[in-house]
Amino acid sequence: MFKNYIKTTFRNLWKNKTYSFLNIFGLAIGIACTALIFLWVEDELTYNHYFTNRDNLYIVKDQQTYDGTTFTFDATPGPMAGAIKAEIPGIKNTARSSWSDQLLFSVGDKSIYDYGCYVDSPFFIMFQLKFIKGNAKTAFDQLYSLVVTETMANKFFGTTDVLGKSLKVSNKQDYIITGVVKDLPENVSLRFNWLAPFQILENQNEWMKDWGSNGIITYVEAEPNANIANINKQLYGYIQTKSPETTAKMSIYPMNRWRLWNSFDTNGHEKEGRLKYVNLFSLIAWIILIIACINFMNLSTARSEQRAREVGVRKVLGAVKGKLILQFIGEAIFMTLLAALFSLFIILLALPSFNTLVEKQLALNIFYPSHIGGLLLITLLCGLIAGSYPAFYLSSFNPASVLKSLKLKSDSTGLIRKGLVVSQFAVSIILIISTIIIYQQIQYAKDRDLGYNKQKLVYTGLNSNMKRNFSVIQNDLMQTGVVENTGLSNSTVLQLGSNTGDFEWPGKDPAKQVLITLEGVSPGYIPTMGMQLSSGRNFYSDIRSDSNNIIINESLAKIIGKKDAVGSIITRNNGSEKYTVVGVIKDFIYNSMYSPASPLILYSDTSGVNYLNLRLKQNADIKTALAKVESVISKDNPGYPVEFNFVDDEFNQLFKTETLIGELAGVFAVLAIVISCLGLFGLSAYTAEKRTKEIGIRKVLGASVGNIAGLLSKDFVKLVFISCIIAFPLSWWFMHGWLQDFEYRIQISWWTFLAAGLLSLLIALFTVSFQAIKAALANPVKSMRTE
Amino acid sequence: MIKIKDLEKIYRTEEVETIALNKLSMEVKDGEFVAVMGPSGCGKSTLLNILGLLDDPDAGSFIFNGIEVAKFNERKRADLRKHNIGFVFQSFNLIDELTVFENVELPLIYTGVKSSERKKRVDEVLDKVQIMHRRNHYPQQLSGGQQQRVAVARAVVNKPKLILADEPTGNLDSHNGNEVMEMLTDLNEQGTTIVMVTHSEHDARYSHRIIRMLDGQTVLENIMV
Ligand SMILES: Nc1ncnc2c1ncn2[C@@H]1O[C@H](COP(=O)(O)OP(=O)(O)O)[C@@H](O)[C@H]1O
Ligand SMILES: [Mg+2]
Repeated sequence: MFKNYIKTTFRNLWKNKTYSFLNIFGLAIGIACTALIFLWVEDELTYNHYFTNRDNLYIVKDQQTYDGTTFTFDATPGPMAGAIKAEIPGIKNTARSSWSDQLLFSVGDKSIYDYGCYVDSPFFIMFQLKFIKGNAKTAFDQLYSLVVTETMANKFFGTTDVLGKSLKVSNKQDYIITGVVKDLPENVSLRFNWLAPFQILENQNEWMKDWGSNGIITYVEAEPNANIANINKQLYGYIQTKSPETTAKMSIYPMNRWRLWNSFDTNGHEKEGRLKYVNLFSLIAWIILIIACINFMNLSTARSEQRAREVGVRKVLGAVKGKLILQFIGEAIFMTLLAALFSLFIILLALPSFNTLVEKQLALNIFYPSHIGGLLLITLLCGLIAGSYPAFYLSSFNPASVLKSLKLKSDSTGLIRKGLVVSQFAVSIILIISTIIIYQQIQYAKDRDLGYNKQKLVYTGLNSNMKRNFSVIQNDLMQTGVVENTGLSNSTVLQLGSNTGDFEWPGKDPAKQVLITLEGVSPGYIPTMGMQLSSGRNFYSDIRSDSNNIIINESLAKIIGKKDAVGSIITRNNGSEKYTVVGVIKDFIYNSMYSPASPLILYSDTSGVNYLNLRLKQNADIKTALAKVESVISKDNPGYPVEFNFVDDEFNQLFKTETLIGELAGVFAVLAIVISCLGLFGLSAYTAEKRTKEIGIRKVLGASVGNIAGLLSKDFVKLVFISCIIAFPLSWWFMHGWLQDFEYRIQISWWTFLAAGLLSLLIALFTVSFQAIKAALANPVKSMRTE
Repeated sequence: MIKIKDLEKIYRTEEVETIALNKLSMEVKDGEFVAVMGPSGCGKSTLLNILGLLDDPDAGSFIFNGIEVAKFNERKRADLRKHNIGFVFQSFNLIDELTVFENVELPLIYTGVKSSERKKRVDEVLDKVQIMHRRNHYPQQLSGGQQQRVAVARAVVNKPKLILADEPTGNLDSHNGNEVMEMLTDLNEQGTTIVMVTHSEHDARYSHRIIRMLDGQTVLENIMV
């Protein structure tokens, strides 16, 4: 019996090669797409799972409210880690960490910048780093010790046998390697190649002992059964018990939410971060799979007349309905299994490009239970979805009428089929519209006037040596003829680092604090960046003459509220520090590319600068210009490799998430439309086949090829039209919601819809016209003989 | 009206080659009513298809209304056909999805007749074949005889000079068959040339002349008196 079914299945497959191919190919694309997305989802959902202790790990979050708006940071004061461990029950361990930073390491004539952090030694135990050389307990016994990853050990020494070897850091201090740890995988939140004792940093920076300065990360390990709510209650006002005038409210935030949530609204409430996209893309993956299943349903019910006789005969011979349903579902599952095999090839082929797209190193491992299980589950589910409706429909044929070859009532299935095609195209059109709008939004934000000129603007890191010799270097740079201007700054222009709420000015409501960003710059900074002064003047080139003067941006000027802010006095520390506004610059966009500029103070002070910004001449060739600049810097500051960063490149990097989403939406849109068209192609072939006789008659009566092709395409075009009507409001609603995340956003314009509708209409028309023209060209004499 | 000489039609399939028409020659004059008879498979339908410009011959000459059409391309044939020739088939060949009215209207649509004019002419012929009361029915709702009357109406609605009928009574009982034959005779008397394929000696007697075929050739011609 079973063999008999297999046989009919195979024969049916073979007899209808085109349909079988369309079905299997469509399903294979659907399964492959779903599998790839789920690999990505798996990677996101298992983020930080490398840390077996992750359920007990937390980061301290710092929330500060200014004028009703709450900002959430990871920055905490230095003394906090030790104090909360001692004073708050339930906290087992704490470790401080600096932000991941690049330092220059040298050994022999090898000098390389590498990423890492300064951490307290409990860090090793909390994150259970795997030491292959040395151990967690003693690694930081000495002050200038260094723990490196396998990769870094190999990079500098070609071996991991490096205990006791030394690396010179920043051409100054030798650090002794006391441990080598295994590399961390890609999908964890921590990124470092080296770790050094936090103590070193603390010894160099007085402010790290201050309860009022939030500048470092604090990690917390809780007792396994600790009451987290209780800990958070104590943390809430904790800083104020040490330093009453501060505003920071602390809490701990679990590692399990670092990746997918870690986003906070202006009330300080947690909201979905990446999870939103993980959910959305899982949903889309399922939808793509369903679109592929729809092809199967449509093509098999459409061809049901062909199978009707088989069903009739089987029923007459004693097959019961249940058996037949099983048979057809079995057939569908068999098809999807074939498709799954096929999809393996597609996955293997597509994985490298997909990995580039999502910037991950995903791999499909058939022997990995979750992978093979997942694939089988998708396949089985797909077979069930695809097979159920045709199975129930086909098995319900009445054998008597089928065998007498009475006309089958196909009106209801015809309607369902149309509905399914409409939904396929509606999804495709929604995806096309979304893709267009996402790209429009990205482009809109990228084209935004930043308030400075990011073209031919590069920066490079400064070290103390360069700072000391800066006037010489600057002179030499100007001599090269390729540099238009230079300026120093504490931060890079896209990410201004420090802010404070403790400035006062006459007329300010003392109860309200205004969060103001602070940036120390050299007098050359404003002209170098190409920022515009709207009133007042730039800093004088003699830095000392402006030591009590500041330049503010227009946003802050507006808050201060005077018609001309130049000359206003701004104070700090109860009036003990007094600053005079000497200039107001036009707002420039920093930190958040979608928001208006927040209040900003620039002060003329190069003691804390970290970056050298260079404006290259407009006509200079970038490559040769940079080579010249590099040789100047290397000559004046030997022993340091020079690395340049382009502001416009980094600017583009800021749109990574949006670009990824746009690209994925685009890929989905293409897949959805391709799969839908495969189905449409099959359906149009079927319709043309079913209407051969009618086409023949019409041709005999004088219909032209155009008449016939139009006749056959018209119905499908109508369906796509209905899809548009459904898709337009839905996509408007989706994208309108999406755009609300961006303060600086596009208006959705009607032509986007028109373009997407026309595009899908054209694609559908192209697909069906192939069959329609083929049918129209057929010789009517032949087609009329087939009756 | 029709003059064919040494007409050949050969069907080639993968295995066999069928000579459907073998150097066939014949003539049909304006206003004639000709019956074509012969055993199944002798090439009658093939001949009718070529006469109807539905198919092209492989060799020979075919002069229609004084014009050599044997080498006409598809478009030219279609153009000539829709203005000059009407068809009646054994199996009626009505379109199931269209009503009686819409079926009869089709040839007028394809020759570009205006909608108001179409309505007038369709009603006129439906009246003539006495099927007016069924104009909004679908073909399946009609009897065989009624369906063939619709088919005849459709064939004449464009006022063709030539009507080709392939076993028009083959699927009908004798009563309905006779009715259709009367209709064809009426049309012929009003000046329409008719070529009809039939198996029935009875029906053949309505014609002026019988052409008997065998294996793709004419073997005998009887002139009716
Ligand atoms: N399209 C075709 N392909 C192959 N052979 C055909 C085709 N049409 C007709 N024939 C063959 O040509 C011969 C004549 O057919 P036809 O004209 O239909 O005969 P009749 O109408 O006299 O019964 C037959 O042998 C038939 O099998
Ligand atoms: Mg025949």
